[in-house]
Amino acid sequence: MDDLSTSAAPALRLHGLHKGFGRPAVDGLDLTVRRGELYALLGPNGAGKTTTLRLITGLLAPDAGTIDVLGVDMLTAPAAAKMKMAYLPDEPLLYAKLKPYEYLEFVAGLWGVRAEVAAPRARELLDWLDLSQHAHELTEGFSRGMKQKLALAGALIHQPELLILDEPLTGLDAAAARQVKDLLLSHVAAGGSVILTTHILEVAERLAQRIGIIRAGQLIAEGTLDQLRQRTQGGSLEDVFLQLTATP
Amino acid sequence: MTSRFAPGPGSAGWLLRHELRLAWYNASSSKSKGGVRRPGFGTIATIALVWLALHVVGWFAMGNLGTMASSDPRVLLVVSAMLIASATFMLSSAIKSSVLTLFERGDLDLLLSSPLPSRSIFTVRLAGVATSTAGIHLFFLAPFAHAALLHGQARWMGVYPALIGIAVLCACGAMLMTLGLVRLIGARRTRVLAQVIGALAGALLVIASQSYSLFADRWQGRGQEILRGMLEHGGMLSADSALWLPARALMGDGGPVLALAALALVAFAITARQTHRFFTVGLQLSASTGATAPAKNASAPRPRFGRSLFHTVVLKEWRLIVRDPHLISQVLLQLLYLVPLCFVVFRDNGVRMPAIGAGLTLLASSLTASLAWIALSAEDAPDLLLVSPASARALRRAKLAAAVMPVLLLVGLPLLWLVARSPLAGLVLCFTASSAVLGAGMIVFWCGRPGVRGNFKARGKGGFLMNMLELLNSLGWGALAWLLADATLARPSGMSALGASAAFVVVMLTLASAWLIGRSRDRAV
Repeated sequence: MDDLSTSAAPALRLHGLHKGFGRPAVDGLDLTVRRGELYALLGPNGAGKTTTLRLITGLLAPDAGTIDVLGVDMLTAPAAAKMKMAYLPDEPLLYAKLKPYEYLEFVAGLWGVRAEVAAPRARELLDWLDLSQHAHELTEGFSRGMKQKLALAGALIHQPELLILDEPLTGLDAAAARQVKDLLLSHVAAGGSVILTTHILEVAERLAQRIGIIRAGQLIAEGTLDQLRQRTQGGSLEDVFLQLTATP
Repeated sequence: MTSRFAPGPGSAGWLLRHELRLAWYNASSSKSKGGVRRPGFGTIATIALVWLALHVVGWFAMGNLGTMASSDPRVLLVVSAMLIASATFMLSSAIKSSVLTLFERGDLDLLLSSPLPSRSIFTVRLAGVATSTAGIHLFFLAPFAHAALLHGQARWMGVYPALIGIAVLCACGAMLMTLGLVRLIGARRTRVLAQVIGALAGALLVIASQSYSLFADRWQGRGQEILRGMLEHGGMLSADSALWLPARALMGDGGPVLALAALALVAFAITARQTHRFFTVGLQLSASTGATAPAKNASAPRPRFGRSLFHTVVLKEWRLIVRDPHLISQVLLQLLYLVPLCFVVFRDNGVRMPAIGAGLTLLASSLTASLAWIALSAEDAPDLLLVSPASARALRRAKLAAAVMPVLLLVGLPLLWLVARSPLAGLVLCFTASSAVLGAGMIVFWCGRPGVRGNFKARGKGGFLMNMLELLNSLGWGALAWLLADATLARPSGMSALGASAAFVVVMLTLASAWLIGRSRDRAV
């Protein structure tokens, strides 16, 4: 993979982020994802994880706060910020009646990727994710895992510096999950950054350099796994998570 | 508390009750506050009022018609025609229900994985298809039978066994047809084919009725002579012909009623007994709807990256539409209903240019509105577009172009023919048709609300205002086409000038309203 790190600004910086739907969903969130880092955002159901990701990607407008993506203000220069990132929601954003290459053509067109970059990149991604043999099939016949992998290929076609993933491993079998994990590690190794949410704590434990735990829209703990363990007197990430998110 | 007479859990009766309860919940298109779909008090009251009103109409109608003799072949002809119409709709409805039962499998996985015998499941599903098929027809026709009963003509109660019998036969035929097609051509194609057949059945009936009324005058002399001969004693359609048995059953003749009921029972029993395995196999095949299809062409696909955003979006929209035969059939159904218009236009060996122009304008406007809704409102992955750096306006413009271009191409050839035939009138019609197309597209562009592609048929329910604007746009440009073409071909009159001015004002006001609505929505966002 190409080296993606180009400047000193963090990959993502959220400051005082607020979003409410009657009640606060994200409540004064401050969070930073460093370059070349895989950051796992954990939290119980309804903690505000998906809302946070949707705010970062511009799918929701914040009530207050700032969002910086690789030094670009998402709120004032959304197109420039979006050029640098990619979003993969828990439900893959696919078209049932398109074939994988056609889907990648479309996504590459949306990001304005040049043909000489997009074509080899698409081949590389489909090969990597074992989708080449299904390249002539409509995605409506794909399994959940195949759809998720294709959506990931779409997210990576423009070589984003920041990947934003909402539950990327949900519904994947062991082989597909391994492929996706390898791809994410490779992206980070090349200098890219990832922020992901997951309910599979083992994924966060094994992949993430830092972990943030969110509850009721607020970041209640953040750090490496060891730092979190120290804070809660040891145990597995599951123990740490349960201690930190227990209702007071 | 369980009723003493309630069917035991797991029995066919218990399953039937479950089916009926689900059907009742699904009988309303609106959602209650609690999120459960079921008809509300208003819906039930409206249905009851309509049913009572039908009884009143039936009272007056059956006062004279109730005494008609079932031995008169002319009466039998009319009743048979009505039955054929009902049976066509029943078959169409039964095919749709069968496909729904087989493919929209909300609970079938659960049922088939339970210890319930698959024969019970199939019997109940078949009964459900037959009930839903018969229900709507009984709703409209039974009040007439009740009214006849009050007039002392009890034999019309034959409507019940006759319609139920025909519905059962249609349900059996439809279910077997659906299952057979699954085996022959696979589940995915069957789904499309069955839906197309269902859609076309209704349309063909409309066309047949229109064709008859249009050609009746030409056929009157010769046709009546042939028919009279057939209806006479000993003719193919005499009173004792077996072809009249369903009609005689409807009119309450004991023998035919029993024969039809027996036939329906036998068909139901055979279908239920012999095909439950077939049903299960069909379901297994239908489950493969989501599986990958075998590769037809092993050659590597040729991706073409690097197109402009406009081309990328247009191509994507066209691919999605072209590869969705069900959607295409629904869109093209509008064309089918306009076929009778062609009969009007070309009748008497004369071509009415203003009528053709108005028809083309209406057609183009209506088609554009449908395609624009599909492309602009029914986007499958709106979040993908929102997270991309592409400008929303550029994307929407490209989608609008994707909707408008095929329609302009479609009406372009007949318009060119009109220009060749009468240049001035043809050019006027080119202007009105193109304007109608652009107007229809812009209305959706400005006022369209997000929708789901699969809900194309129900798109009208979503936005009354947009539908009204689309209708005014179509009618306004259609009227303008007619009046302007007429004015160029004949001497323009004061009335036609006034009419054309009024039509122009209507379309301009319509477009201005659509623009204002869109602008206010943009500001609200």
